[in-house]
Amino acid sequence: MATKRKAAKKTQRAPKRQASKRGASPTTTAHRAVAITADARRPPKERTAAAAAAPLAVCESEDDFQAMLKVLRDGQAPVKVRLAALQAIQAASFSVLAFEGCRGDYIATLRQVAEDPDPELRQRVLGMLMREKDGFAQKKLLEGLHDPDKALLPPEKALQLLGNDVHADTYEVARAIARKPPNEAARREALRLLGADATAAPLFEKLLLDKDELREIRQIAASALYALQPDRMQKHARDILLDKSDYDDIKATSLSALTQLGDETLSDDKALMKSVDRFSTGKTTARYKQTARRFLSKYGR
Amino acid sequence: MDVELQINNSASPGARFLTWAPSPGRIRMTNPAGATGSTVNVRITSASAASAGAVVFRRGATGAFANSITVPVPVNGTSVPFLVAGRFGRPSTSNGDVTIEARAGNTLVGSVPAMVRIRKNANTLTPAERDRFVAAFAQLNNQGLGRFADFRDMHTNVSSPQAHGAAGFLPWHRAYLLDLERELQAIDPSVALPYWRFDRAAPNLFQLDFLGVSDSLGTVRFSNSNPLQFWRTDGVQGINRRPFFNTGSAPPGLLSEAQTLALGTQYRAFRTMEGNPHGMAHTSFGGSISSIGSAARDPLFFLLHCNVDRLWAKWQRQNGRFNAAQAASYDPGAHPVGHNLADTMWPWNGITGNPRPPTAPGGALAASPAAAAPGPQPTVRSTLDYQGAVSAAARMGFDYDDVAF
Repeated sequence: MATKRKAAKKTQRAPKRQASKRGASPTTTAHRAVAITADARRPPKERTAAAAAAPLAVCESEDDFQAMLKVLRDGQAPVKVRLAALQAIQAASFSVLAFEGCRGDYIATLRQVAEDPDPELRQRVLGMLMREKDGFAQKKLLEGLHDPDKALLPPEKALQLLGNDVHADTYEVARAIARKPPNEAARREALRLLGADATAAPLFEKLLLDKDELREIRQIAASALYALQPDRMQKHARDILLDKSDYDDIKATSLSALTQLGDETLSDDKALMKSVDRFSTGKTTARYKQTARRFLSKYGR
Repeated sequence: MDVELQINNSASPGARFLTWAPSPGRIRMTNPAGATGSTVNVRITSASAASAGAVVFRRGATGAFANSITVPVPVNGTSVPFLVAGRFGRPSTSNGDVTIEARAGNTLVGSVPAMVRIRKNANTLTPAERDRFVAAFAQLNNQGLGRFADFRDMHTNVSSPQAHGAAGFLPWHRAYLLDLERELQAIDPSVALPYWRFDRAAPNLFQLDFLGVSDSLGTVRFSNSNPLQFWRTDGVQGINRRPFFNTGSAPPGLLSEAQTLALGTQYRAFRTMEGNPHGMAHTSFGGSISSIGSAARDPLFFLLHCNVDRLWAKWQRQNGRFNAAQAASYDPGAHPVGHNLADTMWPWNGITGNPRPPTAPGGALAASPAAAAPGPQPTVRSTLDYQGAVSAAARMGFDYDDVAF
């Protein structure tokens, strides 16, 4: 199949190569860029810079596409050059019609590089694979969360990437990590992931109302609750705004939520309006005052 | 004595939005009290602060625009047409910041507030412009439950061949952005889609109060007052965007604006910009925006594409490429369906099934009270003459701050 595709592409390419002798067309420039990127004798800086001009050739020529994949797979090549090759191939993937015939080899190479010793390269290709909802990548990431010895990425990054294609077993592992996180970042990403889990609403209510909790976590909880149970969020946002002892940033999040979410009944809520009015003229930051004014103007105040 | 001023041939406040391209205006006498002849000479002019929008006028289809014109207005109520446009370099910053006035002698006999609504560099928006844009975008998405879900569903791996990899790449995205912008304007008419000029530093864009700040993982953080903190698409909370460059500077490796405009004077050569700078701008990040199927999850996607469209607009202006009848304005070869000049574009045409995608989310392209084109079911051809340079009726009602008419 690949040979057939190669022959077809060569036939299509011929006129462009001839034209290039009369002047450097964008395709010719891109072809030269691939040759430089793939040339191990050249300095890494030159190879990296050349890769930026390569996307067009990757779409136009099977040979150039394979040359760039080879650079990406080459464990002996400097990582910067491999990352530049990866970016050029990814940029070419935005030209879908031309790229479609290359997709199989592309995904296979990404899977191969997903277990590369270089962590940055692993992170990038696993991200690309997960955005394609790739089962191989999903399996590897879940395995790593269950068994850290097999982990290709830190748990927080694995959780973030698994959010591209959430399944029930992902929620299970996210719940476990939220209960007993290896670090704060992993807890945060687990909670973000659980923000789509309908059964997690009580957890987010608890986190939102806990004044001892990290404010970033409370912000995540507000966002999750807003989506999962908007009526509960409206109630809690109101309570937070009436609570003189709560933090201004959480009040601002609550105000932002109510500005988007709040229904007409709020306009009759004198206690709330008084509280927001006080917030808008109080000692808080100018930005938060503006948030309060935006809310008040929505309700004609 | 009173006159009525109509902008875009409508008395509706929703139509009082101008760009650099001329809009049709009308004036008619509604109360002739005090008039002594069959017509009254009325001077049409504008008033605005130095930092606000400014407009210019012209009587007919040709000639120079001026800061004011004098029009004989019949006392019998017959309308008199004129043209009005934003003065290039003087866009508005808020709705109604310029007033179009009609005076008989020194007496004000009519006025309407208007806005020179222009797509601007996101890095230079005023805080108020930024906040209005962000609030409208958040509302359009409404946690993934709003109209934005259709826009998300329009730009996927399945639908991608309708929009990428062939000549229609630029036309399709022009219609897509316009559709989105009109939906934003239905929420807040003062909003125009800003662009991310990716060949220059845009530090103000990547801030907590705007499109957010990415942490080392690529999770985007927002200030507590930014409604984008509630962003959600495909059921997933937040935005994942990991820049591979310092967001205080421009991403490396992208063709500059000058290099892009110099790709060639034929559309066929210019459209190679789909790879670089377009593709390279997408892949200067990890996260949603770097893959075609997930890119539209990130609001930045629309600002990136607004810049791609601006580059096309600038190239069109530089080379006079608005006329679809000229081969250099488009690629005249045979293309896949959806990419030929006469083709209607998915999803606005509602056509589903091979070779079109199986569903057509979103319905027809949103209408605007300020411009009739390109209509509910745009063709590739209808996207080229966006300013109405060839045919005034083709004007689509948007312009860029640095692309004149």
